[in-house]
Amino acid sequence: MSVRSESAPPPATLVDAFARSPSPMVITDARAPDNPVAWVNDAFLQATGYAAAEIVGRNCRMLQGPATDHDTVARIRAAVAAAEPISVELLNYRKDGTPFWNAMTITPVSDAQGVAFYYAAQADMTHTHQREVTMRGTNDELERLVDARTHALSAALEQKTALLHEVDHRVKNNLQVISSLMLLKARRTPEGEARDALQGMAERIGALSTAHRLLYSEGDCAHFNLGDFASEFLADMNAGLDPERHRVEADVEPIAVAAAMAAPLALLIHELTANALRHAFPDAREGRVSIAAKRTEHGMHLTIRDDGIGLGAAPPNPAGFGRNLVEMVVRQMRGTIVWRDAGPGTTVEIDIPLQSAS
Amino acid sequence: MGTGNADAALRILVVEDEALIALELECLLDDLGHVTVGIAGSSAEAIALGLSTAPDVAFVDIHLVDGPTGIEVARALSEDRRTTVVFMTANAKRIPRDFAGAIGVIAKPYSERVVASTLDYVADRRAGRGAEAWPDGFLPAPV
Repeated sequence: MSVRSESAPPPATLVDAFARSPSPMVITDARAPDNPVAWVNDAFLQATGYAAAEIVGRNCRMLQGPATDHDTVARIRAAVAAAEPISVELLNYRKDGTPFWNAMTITPVSDAQGVAFYYAAQADMTHTHQREVTMRGTNDELERLVDARTHALSAALEQKTALLHEVDHRVKNNLQVISSLMLLKARRTPEGEARDALQGMAERIGALSTAHRLLYSEGDCAHFNLGDFASEFLADMNAGLDPERHRVEADVEPIAVAAAMAAPLALLIHELTANALRHAFPDAREGRVSIAAKRTEHGMHLTIRDDGIGLGAAPPNPAGFGRNLVEMVVRQMRGTIVWRDAGPGTTVEIDIPLQSAS
Repeated sequence: MGTGNADAALRILVVEDEALIALELECLLDDLGHVTVGIAGSSAEAIALGLSTAPDVAFVDIHLVDGPTGIEVARALSEDRRTTVVFMTANAKRIPRDFAGAIGVIAKPYSERVVASTLDYVADRRAGRGAEAWPDGFLPAPV
């Protein structure tokens, strides 16, 4: 091929290059009626399956078919009418009827009198489209898999929830059975130390039961509201007292503590209250026991106070089970306890650290 | 415990499949001055005893020998207007929205105090005395 210096190659060379180009190309005659095809290259004939004689002189819409997008065709028509260049992808059809994705750039070519030709360079994008379709299919498949997995997980969760309810039901029922056992045995035991001990145990189980009942009742399995516990506990304690002589009062903030602390706190409060009622008011002495709990910076402060005879005045208690239990439980919760003669009565102050509960 | 009103003695049917719980409850009802007219562990027994004794009050557990049939039992027993039905269960989540004719539920594990004060409340209601406040630990059916 000869190359002329400085300016563009001669038109014959350009036409030759276009004719041999592997990219399909079309030139239409803008001034002839219905903008017919004036020239096509071999690549275009190969891509569409038509012979040059079958396509030259006709409008390019002959390549459209049933699934060709009407909106895209309208855009092309508008661009051609306005003599503006446009790039689109259009579904076209070969002579044998098979469709292909034709990405084309249509450019108006003007001379002094206006638009003379439209030049269209094209590319077969069928593979790209197929990839997109495949990708969409893969996405759909993935979504279907995720749906199936989600469904399986919800079913598993439902099963676990049912199991949790079943276990919760059994624990509560068993607490009732244990308490019934204690009380039945107490009823059949003659009045005295053994009977008192059995009744004491039944009461402790009762306090644990109250804690457990409140634990899962609100749907929040992770926390326990000390205020709710206190009001139920108070009602239970006062029901067993002669209201003319003894009274238990509570001023407990609605502190949310971790569920794991429900049982030890319930035991602790029960033990201190029952202890006060048992030892602080001998010989028909009247009095009251007060329970107070409030949040502190790092945990909670619990005060159990009575206006009874005071620590020093109480006869030494060799068994001392209640006090042992209290100190054990406080240690378990990593708290501190101070017993004080308050004159009158006894004050027990307990500090318990709490994890950053809500 | 309780008001101890002699005139408030109630005739009570206990529908409970756990023998120990039923026995202890019977003792407690006796202490409170009430009368246990029967103990049923299955739904068939419960419904038959309900028909033959027409109790004032029925305490009904949800889970019985023949499954979670306490709901049906409550529905059948509350058809008799003379009977006040109270659920007594660790399975309160299974109670339908309409409470199957029951007036409320005592959640297990319950304390003796809740049983006593619930019976006082029921007695007041049955006698037409204004009992606006229900006891702590008893959950009334939604109206």
